[in-house]
Amino acid sequence: MNLASNANAALYASMIVYTLAMLAFTWHLAARAPQVADSKFAERAEVREGVLVGAGAPGAPERRSPYAAGPGFEESTQSRQRGNIALMLTYLGTALLVASVVMRGLAVSRPPWGNMFEFATAGAAAVGVAYSLLAKRNHWQWLGVFVVGPILLVLGLALSVLYTEAGELMPALKSYWLAIHVSVAFIAVAFFTIAFAIGIVYLVRLHREEKPPAKPNFVESLPSSAALERTAYSLNMVAFILWTFTLIAGAIWAKQAWGAYWQWDPKEVWTFVIWTVYAAYMHSRATAGVDHRKSMLIALVGFVCVIINFTLVNLVSTFVGMHNYSGVG
Amino acid sequence: MTTETPPRPRKRTQPDPSLPRLSALGWVRWAWRQLTSMRTALFLLLLLSVAAVPGSIFPQRNIDAGRVADYIAQNPTTSPWLDRLGFFDVYSSPWFSAIYLLLFVSLVGCIVPRTRVHLAALRATPPRAPARLSRLDEHAEVVTDLSQDEALAVAREVLGGKRFRLHSHDATSLSGESGYLRETGNLVFHLALTGIIVGMAVGHVFGWRGDIILAEGDKFASSAGTYNTISPGPWVDTESLPPFVLGLDRLDVQFNEAPGRGFGMPKEFTAYTTLQREPGAAATKESVSVNHPITVDGADIFLLGNGYTPVITVRDAKGEILYREATPFLPQDGNYRSVGVIKVPSASPKQLGLTGFFLPTAEPTFVHGPASLFPDAKDPEVALSIWEGNLFPGDAPQSVYTLNTDEMTQVTKADGSPALIRLKPGQTYEIPGGRGTVTFDSVKRFAGLSVRTDPGAPISLVSAVLATAGLILGLTIKRRRVFVRVRAAGPGAAGVDSPSGDDGRPATVVSIGGLSKDSDAGLAAIVAAVHDRLAERNDRS
Repeated sequence: MNLASNANAALYASMIVYTLAMLAFTWHLAARAPQVADSKFAERAEVREGVLVGAGAPGAPERRSPYAAGPGFEESTQSRQRGNIALMLTYLGTALLVASVVMRGLAVSRPPWGNMFEFATAGAAAVGVAYSLLAKRNHWQWLGVFVVGPILLVLGLALSVLYTEAGELMPALKSYWLAIHVSVAFIAVAFFTIAFAIGIVYLVRLHREEKPPAKPNFVESLPSSAALERTAYSLNMVAFILWTFTLIAGAIWAKQAWGAYWQWDPKEVWTFVIWTVYAAYMHSRATAGVDHRKSMLIALVGFVCVIINFTLVNLVSTFVGMHNYSGVG
Repeated sequence: MTTETPPRPRKRTQPDPSLPRLSALGWVRWAWRQLTSMRTALFLLLLLSVAAVPGSIFPQRNIDAGRVADYIAQNPTTSPWLDRLGFFDVYSSPWFSAIYLLLFVSLVGCIVPRTRVHLAALRATPPRAPARLSRLDEHAEVVTDLSQDEALAVAREVLGGKRFRLHSHDATSLSGESGYLRETGNLVFHLALTGIIVGMAVGHVFGWRGDIILAEGDKFASSAGTYNTISPGPWVDTESLPPFVLGLDRLDVQFNEAPGRGFGMPKEFTAYTTLQREPGAAATKESVSVNHPITVDGADIFLLGNGYTPVITVRDAKGEILYREATPFLPQDGNYRSVGVIKVPSASPKQLGLTGFFLPTAEPTFVHGPASLFPDAKDPEVALSIWEGNLFPGDAPQSVYTLNTDEMTQVTKADGSPALIRLKPGQTYEIPGGRGTVTFDSVKRFAGLSVRTDPGAPISLVSAVLATAGLILGLTIKRRRVFVRVRAAGPGAAGVDSPSGDDGRPATVVSIGGLSKDSDAGLAAIVAAVHDRLAERNDRS
């Protein structure tokens, strides 16, 4: 057994643990659904909290769900236990995935993100690490399924479609900028991913706040739509700053490798498109009078561009350019 | 990016609202307002992102003119229209330029007034505390037996420690404001974006690039006429290019020979060169590789490509050498199936042209046409067809890599089938009809070198760093106002257990309120900090 095959073994192990974590998160969500009978009490608790805390942006009163929400929600012991089991499994899965990435890096003696397979696994690991670090503090057990699900999807695709044997880098990638530019890129993508998941949940939550459903489910136990929106904004903000850095670091590297810092190569174009879309999101969020739902839709479009940038631009020959490092051929 | 005020509710009392007539200046002001509004900026940003996409879908002339030509040839109906609309030069097309120029006008139109406002705000004192602090986003109240002045002093100390700018408009209140760096960061970010554009413009006007294909063993003296292609900016004096002399001693190339997915992938390209900074100067050995350019007089020399130059000799029927050169063949795919042309104008009675392929590791059967199996020169072969006639119809300038066969005919064998030359190194082919011979002597590698200067790059780099710093400040710092009001506690003040009375010291009610423009999780902590410190002092006394 050499390092590279150990790395693959750890990757499979992490996928198994993540699958268990996803099941546990689903199990947890099933226990979260507020009981209709409790909703009256929860509503009172919510209102009391609201007066005490008085949170919310000025001029934009938070919408109140008729069911338990955010701070007023009393989580059952069962739900809490299941959530914690799921979190523990996620920590384990993430540790295995990080170990896999590290072993792959040691096996090839370079940063382990030199082709699409490696970028996908490292990116998935970054999502797992970011979620694991933030989940406990922010009580994000409810988010688990929407984060671990995509991680599993990406890992599955990486193994089945993108898999590349551990090997040497293409000459164009032999630079210390690989460590800087690419790592910041996938950390940014990790934050964009979590923000995207929260953004989707926000839209569902908002819809159900506006048209309260007959029967509450776990959505009614989540933080208020306004709180979800603020969280998504903060994460997108961090990701946007990192993406700006990615763009600039990429330009500096391009100057060194290709002689010009900006040539409108398809990868550059899409990195720029993502940047402008998220810049539009930041602006629309800051503009008085623009609905936060509309802003969020811009951010979701931005994430679709992130996905296009990683999939179509790398794999479809229409987008042929100088960033041809997929390792898939 | 001026913040907009919500539209005023329209009055319905007037039956027919007559709008004021706008003068020409009025219209200009109106248009300016529209252009510099946040909504317009937002729209232009989204438009810019949409407009950038076609440039990644259609081949672009600035990246690969050859692919554009292929695309046009393959799509004869749509491509003339696409071409007319600028889809093959998206980033220099009028519509793309219009969007980003409007965006930058909008940006400047926003930065200038905002800078003025911000400079005034930097000098201003924090505003007077509102009467009822309990109406603010964050609010706390504490009753203390400190005197009013002492209580304000405590609040001053806490807020001062958090770098609030403080001012007391009267004896019973304190106003504090912090986070001026947020707006400073915003302005720096937007200003720096214009700096990036300025850097790009400077690079475009004063920068130049020259490309040269250099075979192993060859030498090249830099001047405007010696580059294969040179594209100088409009204000570049092509007579004053750095006059260095560069010789390519050897080009080391390695490809992955292990079977599997990475088979044939490049592993290493390094050009070993001899460089003289000017003719006659001392020569130094320099190596150029991908990611490691060499710098001469402000120009950087990059290794951007490589390929093969088969050395081919053409002799006439008497054995006289008509042509002997290392001719570069340009690689077409990952296995370096390369195309090239040999033009022999001195051949008689008609000029000769050879066109075809160089295959570094030839697939022997040619079942699917000439193909190469591996990019390294393991089993090199040339496959050429022969043409005769007029090489340069109309004496028009033409590329050295294409053969214009308008006034040429293909040379055939005795049976009428086209003659095809297939040669391994050292082999000679006799052209039918006593037209002479073609010999494939040997093969050398060539390096595709690019020499570039971009005097605007440092401007763009500094601007980009400033933009990032500004962005971080502008997004993470929060603009906050905290107000403190003190009043004497009335006897039996409602809802508070008054600590006064026993020792006869007067009690003070301290009301603390916090206000933030943005969603701000940290504001509550600041209000709480003032509250807690006061409560703590209260316990101690």
